[in-house]
Amino acid sequence: MSAAALERQIRPIYDALDTGSNKSAIVACNKLLKKHPKNDLLKSLKALALVRSQKVEESLVLCDEVLEAKPTDDGTLTAMMHALRGLGRHNDMVTMFEEAYKKQPTNEDLGCQTFFANVRANHWKAAHQIATRMFKQFQDDRYLYWSVISAMLQAKDTNTPAAMRPILYKLAHRLIISSPTPSYVNADRFHLHLSILRELDLYEEAQGLLDSDIGKSICATNLSCNEVRRDIWLCQGQLQQEGERARNRIVLMNDRNWLEFLAVLDATLLDAAHPSVPTSTNLGSSKDTLTKIQRAQDLFLDVSKQDRLKDRSGPLALLELERRMRAHGLSQDSTRLITLLKEYFDNFGDKACCFEDLKPFLDLEESDLSQFTIFLQVVPAGFTNVSELRRLINAYKLLRYTLVESDITVDTELERAAAYVKAYFQALPLGVGLPSTELQHADDFALLAGNAYVNIWKLTGNDCHLLNAIYLLEFAVTKSKQSFLTRLILIRIYRLLGAPALALEHYRIMQIKQVQHDTLSHLILSRATAFSLAASGDLTLATECLESTQIYVSNSQETGDFVVRAFQSEKYSQIPEFISFEDQLDNSLQRDTVKIEHLRMRLTHEPISSDIIDMELIELKFIFDRIHYDNRDFAILPNYQPKISRDLNQQTLLFGKPEGHGWLQTFLKVYIRAFQQASDLDDTVEEKLLIGDRPKQTADFDRNLSLRDRLLQQNPSELANLTSDEAKLVEYARALADWLEPYHNYARPPPSVVLAEAAKQTELKTGHPLKGIEIPTINATNGHPKKDEEPPTIQEPPEFVLNYFDGVRARIDDSKSNSSPTELLHVATVAQEAFLLFLVETLRFKSPSVVKINKLSSLVATFNCLRAAAISALKDISAILIKRGESDGSSESLSTCAKIGDSTFASQIDHDFVFIHAKRVADSRRKVLEGVGKGIARICMTYAS
Amino acid sequence: MSILRPFKAADMFKFNNINLDIWTETYGIGFYLSYLSRWPDLCCVQEAPSGRMMGYVLGKAEGTGAEWHGHVTAITVAPEYRRLSLARKMMSLLEMVSEELYKGYFVDLYVRCANVIAIDMYEQLGYSVYRRVREYYGSLGVGKGGKDEEDAFDMRKPLPRDVNRRSVRPNGRDIIVSRHDVS
Ligand SMILES: CC(C)(COP(=O)(O)OP(=O)(O)OC[C@H]1O[C@@H](n2cnc3c(N)ncnc32)[C@H](O)[C@@H]1OP(=O)(O)O)[C@@H](O)C(=O)NCCC(=O)NCCS
Repeated sequence: MSAAALERQIRPIYDALDTGSNKSAIVACNKLLKKHPKNDLLKSLKALALVRSQKVEESLVLCDEVLEAKPTDDGTLTAMMHALRGLGRHNDMVTMFEEAYKKQPTNEDLGCQTFFANVRANHWKAAHQIATRMFKQFQDDRYLYWSVISAMLQAKDTNTPAAMRPILYKLAHRLIISSPTPSYVNADRFHLHLSILRELDLYEEAQGLLDSDIGKSICATNLSCNEVRRDIWLCQGQLQQEGERARNRIVLMNDRNWLEFLAVLDATLLDAAHPSVPTSTNLGSSKDTLTKIQRAQDLFLDVSKQDRLKDRSGPLALLELERRMRAHGLSQDSTRLITLLKEYFDNFGDKACCFEDLKPFLDLEESDLSQFTIFLQVVPAGFTNVSELRRLINAYKLLRYTLVESDITVDTELERAAAYVKAYFQALPLGVGLPSTELQHADDFALLAGNAYVNIWKLTGNDCHLLNAIYLLEFAVTKSKQSFLTRLILIRIYRLLGAPALALEHYRIMQIKQVQHDTLSHLILSRATAFSLAASGDLTLATECLESTQIYVSNSQETGDFVVRAFQSEKYSQIPEFISFEDQLDNSLQRDTVKIEHLRMRLTHEPISSDIIDMELIELKFIFDRIHYDNRDFAILPNYQPKISRDLNQQTLLFGKPEGHGWLQTFLKVYIRAFQQASDLDDTVEEKLLIGDRPKQTADFDRNLSLRDRLLQQNPSELANLTSDEAKLVEYARALADWLEPYHNYARPPPSVVLAEAAKQTELKTGHPLKGIEIPTINATNGHPKKDEEPPTIQEPPEFVLNYFDGVRARIDDSKSNSSPTELLHVATVAQEAFLLFLVETLRFKSPSVVKINKLSSLVATFNCLRAAAISALKDISAILIKRGESDGSSESLSTCAKIGDSTFASQIDHDFVFIHAKRVADSRRKVLEGVGKGIARICMTYAS
Repeated sequence: MSILRPFKAADMFKFNNINLDIWTETYGIGFYLSYLSRWPDLCCVQEAPSGRMMGYVLGKAEGTGAEWHGHVTAITVAPEYRRLSLARKMMSLLEMVSEELYKGYFVDLYVRCANVIAIDMYEQLGYSVYRRVREYYGSLGVGKGGKDEEDAFDMRKPLPRDVNRRSVRPNGRDIIVSRHDVS
């Protein structure tokens, strides 16, 4: 058949791949492969289709074959690139392109591909070398710049030794000045050049570039270059000059970028901030400073006069100047700050951000504070126009923010809540005509009331205040459908009250998507196992976990492409930013926190097997080795609490404990240790079976420690993140693991046997032997080699393990009468988790032959006792939950809930509305209690023996 | 009072207070990165001194010949920072860069015919309707705005290079094209 005919037949395969019909792509490949068994393109397309249908083992074999042949044609290379990326084999991809490029060194496109393959794998050194070679050969300036930035990225890479860094920057510098065309032909090249000079502290050289006309004009139109310029000036200590430059921009060009005002401020108080700067005598310099202050003040006053209400920069700069003068003891007028604050409020009190603007200036002394308070207290409560309303809202927020300890009592807070609620209803009519897409002007009053109710709840421990908040805020969202801030408080409160389904409902209405999953899914997924109904078959939350992690897949698939694009379009300023974004998202704390949460849910509904254990173990170990970035957004919560109290986020955390690095580390250790004991995979086996590249270890830990050492480390600051029930679980898991470790180690088959088994399985699946593994001949019975040594003596179970479930019973008794079922659910699900860990730890000894060969039957007998005790406790807990669910859902409990509607809004919100929402809370509680209860019962049944 | 600075990839971690607003869409990461990888100088952020994001604009340069122009793809300001001239400042930056760096003839943008506030603003800033594009947007599903919700106005503002002011036409609102006729 002619090449053209073959090409025609391959077309449909591409179409099938493009449309996701992987199965038909595989069928078509197989058909053509019969005729062309040696065709690399067909093999690589089939490999790709296999990867995309999760048939990893089979595709590995094909990939290896194609790689062996060292292909050079574009089609094969591209298909292989996608297949290898899907397998996480970036290193192989690099080698493939390098080999191809070696064979065709004049192929420029192949050179670029090879360069990009290295970029994707973060192999900066190799990338640098390739770009250098390409520049020599193809004489295109951009390859020179590619080599420059590669050297720079190598310098920035955390794995590059510190001593190497300056050498690499110098190399980058030498290269960039060797460029045939000057860097200023293009803003991004110029940016790169400046960045290198900044790294090398070559300020004079940088200054030369910046002072040129073209340099100035680039910085005037390019914010990124201007950013580096500013930095370089500051590094040079040219604060004075920067201040002058900024002043000119403010005066001559009406620039109102706050950065310019900050530059003037920094320059003004330069000597005060650094008194040791040996410019002139102390006396002289302080006089100097006063003149400068006067000058700055005049400037800001002029700006204020000129802008009037159009821009806040002038007045805020005056405030900031006064604040700084006070900090340096230079203020000459003790009433000035308060005067400025009042003026500011008078002028900008009707801007929504006035409260936020003034926050930094509110560390006031008592007399100032009382003056300001009196001023704010007389702000008229007018509801006839938006401007009045905003003033009142800002006054309320400021007053609340500056409350002192003695002002915050249950009674005063109740009064405040009543005032906010009253204002809310008075303000509502003003927004009647707004379209449903707009926010109501009155919303902030409801948010303030929400904050107050939460605070009262904190002060009294009485849940009825949270219910009040719910009724009011639910009413507020009916009036202002787009008010996501209202929904955020509701989400938090519903979780506190044990009504997770309602929290989820509001969360979904907000349409969280894409990267927001990373920053906001904590709202609904933090410690979500307490509410998971997975054990009874409802996978809502488990699915939510999986959906929220899609973004990490897109990140690893897409972001690299854009790094490559930024190279192609020479946007050098973006490349380091993209790389660190990718890294920050890839190594997100939330990602792995959700991973653990999902694992906890998964174990409640999937049978515990060695397959799950092995797979999870490998993944968890990678997670344990990597650094984590906390991208969670808590600032989004509308916090209007007094600055001396805890903020709304802290107040409404589930169980009062934040999740974070400590929580993640602790749970990782618990699960890795348990899985490692239960698994047959040791490091040598894992190495052989690993498919993709091994991720780099980026976590901060002592590299001399073994994994076991690290798992055993106990770090008090990590434990501080745990609830008392979680802490007990951790202790239980540790005691259990310590106790069983010797028996696991004794009974675990040796690596050679495990590998042989894995090879057998692979061969059965794919028809090919596992590469690189020789199967030893084993002299064994039934797959278990005979032991030479005696089994370790059987020890009694540790006290803690024996008594754990008694402790749980006591905790259940403590928490079952709380008005919110949340804690009860937590205690119950943590106990369930302890039982599942027990099952993981004892799985190996379920096999009678293992027990027999290893002579461990008396150990297994103790397991049976422990299991029976655990099951008996869990069954009781299950019954308690189900019963509690019935009573929470009953009409009596409902009417008590519905009765407590705050009298201040009783006249405004009709009783039916309150009743409906009380019923929704009751129903949601019943559902979760019943679901968790039944789930526990189901687990007891599944693992009854 | 705000800091005007370049939009950076990591801003995606910080833009919730802006993007949870109904008029602002959150796209896949690729969307933001594609703008940053080509027109980083047309993408900027307004930031409060506290570090909170207040608003941002994403733009691009496109077209051929006398159609070469700057385009505002998204401009948005968080509800609590509206009416502080932030949008005005970001628009003027984008216009300045389109003029001086890209040497464009005009700046244009699409806006839902129902988004009266934004249309008013653009008119204030010197933009006028050049044409109406049928069914440019998917349905927002928020009201009974009918066609106005799906249709878009293509609004343009001439830059000095458009000497003959070809990007302005008085009867723009009556000139209707289908979405397939525009890029
Ligand atoms: C449209 C939007 C970007 C305006 O941002 P902004 O920072 O508040 O606008 P500015 O303060 O710079 O306003 C500039 C001028 O526009 C006009 N304007 C803006 N908002 C207005 C409003 N709500 N009502 C009437 N006029 C308005 C005014 O003339 C204003 O000048 P002035 O304040 O001196 O009177 C903002 O409302 C927003 O983010 N909306 C949601 C997203 C959106 O719709 N984007 C546009 C999609 S194409």
